[in-house]
Amino acid sequence: MTIIRFGLNGEPAQVHAPVTASLLDVIRGLGLTGAKVGCRIGVCGVCTVLVDGLPVSSCLYLAHCANGADIWTAEGIARDKPEVVEAFVRCEGMQCGICTPGQVVAAVAARAELGRAADDTQLREYLIGNLCRCTGYATIIEAAKAACDGR
Amino acid sequence: MAADTRFVAPTTVVEALGALRADGALAVGGGTAVGLLLGHSLIDPRVLVWLGRIPALRRITADGAGLRIGAAVTLRELSRHPAVRSALAALATSAALAGNPRIRSVATVGGALAHADPRQDLPPALLALGAVVEITGQDRSRTVPVDGLATGVMETVLQPGELITAVRIPVLPGLRSVYLRFTPGSTADYPTVAAAASARRDARGRLLSVTLSLGAVGPTVLAVPEAAALAGERTPSAASVAAVADAAARRARPVATRLGSAAYVRAMAAVWARRALTACLARDLVGSPS
Repeated sequence: MTIIRFGLNGEPAQVHAPVTASLLDVIRGLGLTGAKVGCRIGVCGVCTVLVDGLPVSSCLYLAHCANGADIWTAEGIARDKPEVVEAFVRCEGMQCGICTPGQVVAAVAARAELGRAADDTQLREYLIGNLCRCTGYATIIEAAKAACDGR
Repeated sequence: MAADTRFVAPTTVVEALGALRADGALAVGGGTAVGLLLGHSLIDPRVLVWLGRIPALRRITADGAGLRIGAAVTLRELSRHPAVRSALAALATSAALAGNPRIRSVATVGGALAHADPRQDLPPALLALGAVVEITGQDRSRTVPVDGLATGVMETVLQPGELITAVRIPVLPGLRSVYLRFTPGSTADYPTVAAAASARRDARGRLLSVTLSLGAVGPTVLAVPEAAALAGERTPSAASVAAVADAAARRARPVATRLGSAAYVRAMAAVWARRALTACLARDLVGSPS
């Protein structure tokens, strides 16, 4: 167990964690359960968080690599960028909801990367690794596009 | 899991090599492969040596001969680098298509090589471009060709204490290269077949060299030396391209997966080898990644 310090949704955080712990385990251990435990092999996207502004699969991200980093989860995004969550609500970009926090985080990353000019093809490519088992992709893409457009 | 496993984040290559001298030390690039293996208790390292804080490993630099890409450069950085995109299109494309954006944010060039999973996207592109792998050891450094690194699935020539520090890739005038990946399931899957090709022409349009390599069709990345015979012509015939593609398929050593039988993968190896060569040899094709 060693201590790790990082920014978590804009606040300083510090935890003791085994060196083999994933970032997912650490942030869920802090009570932030927006990032879900899904495939645990970096494929499904339900554990997506931002590390220094870039989307990562927190299941495959060693928590100790986050020492000193700026981490944002769906909870922080819902507070600081409510317009993204509102876009998902308005476009009905969710069904059962399990993938939704990951989709919201990925949409924020897509907005930062692609900006207002993002078209459907770019967004589909960007969100390709965020799986929705309800197959609600059309409205998820619509919501991400609305978030990018600032609608 | 040993309770005394340590995590170190050195800031220089010398410090990293020092940490790697310990028994059970394991270099960590982005951690996507290491995280996966740890999560399934397939490895039990004593020291994790993270390379993400070593500026010298995070640089892409040009010299007279070509580009030197530091081992801790991420796939995202690689795919967006202007010199890589303009001169080494196959490599930029392979980095842009690997995994998904979350993997590309953190996975590294050195990790893709050291992990030695034959389905990795970068090795076929690097091999087609004539890259060499720079390995730094405790008291000597060496280079190996890309197809001299892996000896089998997840096995390499790396010795304890050695670290992949960079890949070096020649940048040659008149070079065009392409990378194609065949994913019959989701496009975010590992490729069922990956094919990279390069063609270099002189100022008069004559082919000086042609290379072809395949990924995912055997235990290691596969060079297809028969492609060299396509050089010397201005426009190789479809028949001679198909003959090289068939030779590539014969060299493949595929295994059945959920995405197809060995025979299917071999048949697709010929198809995608032909497509990569055809795209690379087309005079009007733009060589930059889409």
